[in-house]
Formats: sequence, structure tokens, C-alpha cells
Amino acid sequence: MRDEIKQKVTTYVLDSTFAEKEKIKDDTLIFQEGFFDSMGFVMLLGFLEEAFEIRPVDADLVEENFESINAITNYVINKKAA
Amino acid sequence: MNSKDKKPFSKDIILLDNVEEAVNSIVNKMRSDTFQRLHRMGGVIGISGGIDSAVCLALAAKAYGPGKCFSIMMPEHDSSPESETLAKELADKFGIKAIKEDLTGALAGFNCYGRRDEAVKKVFPEYNPKDYKMKIGIKQSGLYTNLPPVFSVTIVDKDGNEKEDRLPVKEFLQIVAASNFKQRSRMCMLYYHAEVLHYIVVGTSNKNEKEQGFFVKFGDGGSDIFPIGNLYKTQIYQLAEYFEIPQAIIDRTPTTDTYSAEQTQEEFFYQLPYPLMDRYWYGYENGYSPAEVASVMGETEEHVKSIFTNFERKYKTTEYMRMAPIRDYYGK
Repeated sequence: MRDEIKQKVTTYVLDSTFAEKEKIKDDTLIFQEGFFDSMGFVMLLGFLEEAFEIRPVDADLVEENFESINAITNYVINKKAA
Repeated sequence: MNSKDKKPFSKDIILLDNVEEAVNSIVNKMRSDTFQRLHRMGGVIGISGGIDSAVCLALAAKAYGPGKCFSIMMPEHDSSPESETLAKELADKFGIKAIKEDLTGALAGFNCYGRRDEAVKKVFPEYNPKDYKMKIGIKQSGLYTNLPPVFSVTIVDKDGNEKEDRLPVKEFLQIVAASNFKQRSRMCMLYYHAEVLHYIVVGTSNKNEKEQGFFVKFGDGGSDIFPIGNLYKTQIYQLAEYFEIPQAIIDRTPTTDTYSAEQTQEEFFYQLPYPLMDRYWYGYENGYSPAEVASVMGETEEHVKSIFTNFERKYKTTEYMRMAPIRDYYGK
């Protein structure tokens, strides 16, 4: 399941930032590096809700959950398991 | 500036040493830009009852003379009535002609209110603009994190009861796009009068708004000059004192005056009060280390680093708004 989630997240991140594949690694800090802006974050949340049927709550909106592809993957896995 | 000439960071470093000299420098350039460079006869300015437009009006009066300034109040359905009263008081003080152009009809024609309310209703089905006021704002404090802020919508009923929820992307975009009709309609009206008079449009955006992207492209971002575009809000307050702007305007909390419910600019966008934000921005912009700024401001170095990162992100991600249309596609 992890690989499938990670693949979907990676595809979304690469498609929505128009970044070259080699520029965004699994642990690249996508917000700190400026790949995503405010709108990008809101769109990412919308994508996660739709693609994985989860509903991020306010308490989830912390850097640790969204800072990289790995972090987002872990967040989705934990959220689905909860 | 040579690093050895650089003053140590202090809370007062941002203050203009000589306000009169700054004012004279601005008005001299306004005159030469308007008359010699842009070949126009004076300036049109939109006045809101806020401090930025008040200072710009005072500068324009000094630069062109009151007879070559024309001010316009542009209230609409959601404007605070206080805005108009203060704007009129201001124009009277400087002896500048002020007219009122109510934009409610134009905005209704664009279906600005209907498009916005449709999006709000998707989040709160009970929302009815007759019984509720609404605003959007930042959901979580993004200051000490690298995560950008997420916006929420708040509705307030007649008894003052509030309900707030995070805005999904489609609804957020629709509310912002609909609301931006307001700033863009104001720009159209300003240019109508500017062209009739053969004047320029004097923009009222300040440094914080331009550099952090808190303006509407081709809305309040659309003008011929920005006399206070390189001044921090703290410095604009210094100019306001110099020009003896009515105290009610100086004391007024900066608001967006865009949504029907009351909302400060700090709540909507900046997340910090001006006196703090300006000093952090100054430190960031002038290459002071987070450690030095932190010790002066009584903050942790970690927090100041996060604030600087936040500024950098805002600057980078709003580059689109400051860009002129791109034309270098083919040919010279």
C-alpha cells in the first residue's frame, strides 16, 4: 500500500509543480524549497481528500505531515489507519 | 552598503531620520515623473479612509497643488460607512475635490456578490447574505512553520455568532476571484477620471503590500506611480504625523474593507502587527542575521529564522503578481 500511495503522491507533486523529476526527491522539502505556494498547499489538501478519501483536520496542518513526499505518504498511511 | 558601515540592528533602525527630507524627495520625483516623464497634468487618487491613501493624497497635494489633484471615494455594498466619512474629512483637510462613485451597481453587474455567495454557500449551506456577514482569513498561524497558510471562511449571523471552516480550493479561488472585481472596478473608475482630466493614477500600495503580494494584479496594483511603494508602514505613519493626517485615520486599524464582516489586514494576510513585521522585514531585507534580530526583538533565533523563511516564500510565490505581461516571444 505504501508504494501505491507514494507513487500517487509523487505523480501529483511532479505534475502540479511542473518540476523536473530529478529536482524533487522523496525527501526534498517541497515547501521550504518553494515548489509549493499557499495555493499549492490548498490544492494538495484537496487532492489528498479526493484521492485517498481522508479529511485533514486543523491539527494535521503541521510541517511534519507535508514537508516532503515521504512525509505526505506517511501522513496518508497514518490517517487511513486511524 | 559596505558591511563595516552597516549599523547594528535596532528597533529604531527602520525610522526615517528626516521625514521632511523624505517627503521633499518623494514630491519632487512625483512632479518630475508626472509632468515631464508621463506628460500628464495632475493626479487622481482613490481614497478609502485608510492611512496609505491619506498619506498619498497629502503627498499629491504637496506635489501637484490641491487644484491638480482629484480624489474619489468608491464605496460598495460591503464597505464600512466609516471609510467614506473619514475619506471626506481627509479631502476637505487638504482642499482637494472629492467625489463619490458608488461601485455597487457595477459589481452587481459583474455578479461579484452572487459569485462569492455561491462559493460561501457550498461551505455553509445556511449562509444567506441578508442575514449573515462573511470574511475569509488565515486558518492556522503559518509564521513559525514553512507551511503556507490555509484560508478559512467565517460567517457571522445577526446575533454575532460565528462559524468557521477551512476553504476547499475551488471555493477559495471563486471567493478571491469574485472579490477581486472590487479592486479591478476601482482601477477602471480611477482611470476613467484620470483620462477625462489627462491626469495619472496615483497608486496607494506600500512596500509590504507590493513585496509580500498583498494586492490585486491590475486592481490596486494597477496605477502609474506608487509614491509610498518603497516605504514600510512604520515610515508611512511617520509621514502621516508630519502631514497631520486626521487622528481617526491614524488610529484606525488597517482593514481589507473587502468582505462584509470586519477583518483586519493582520488577520487576513500578514499574521503579525505592523510594528513587528516591519522590523523583521527590514532585518531580512538588509541581511541581518536571525540571531542579531532575535536578540533585539526578544524572540528566539529559531522563530526569527522561520519568519525570514516565511517572507522569502511570500516574495518568491507572489512574483507572478509583480510581473509585467511577458512579450519577448518572437521578434525584437
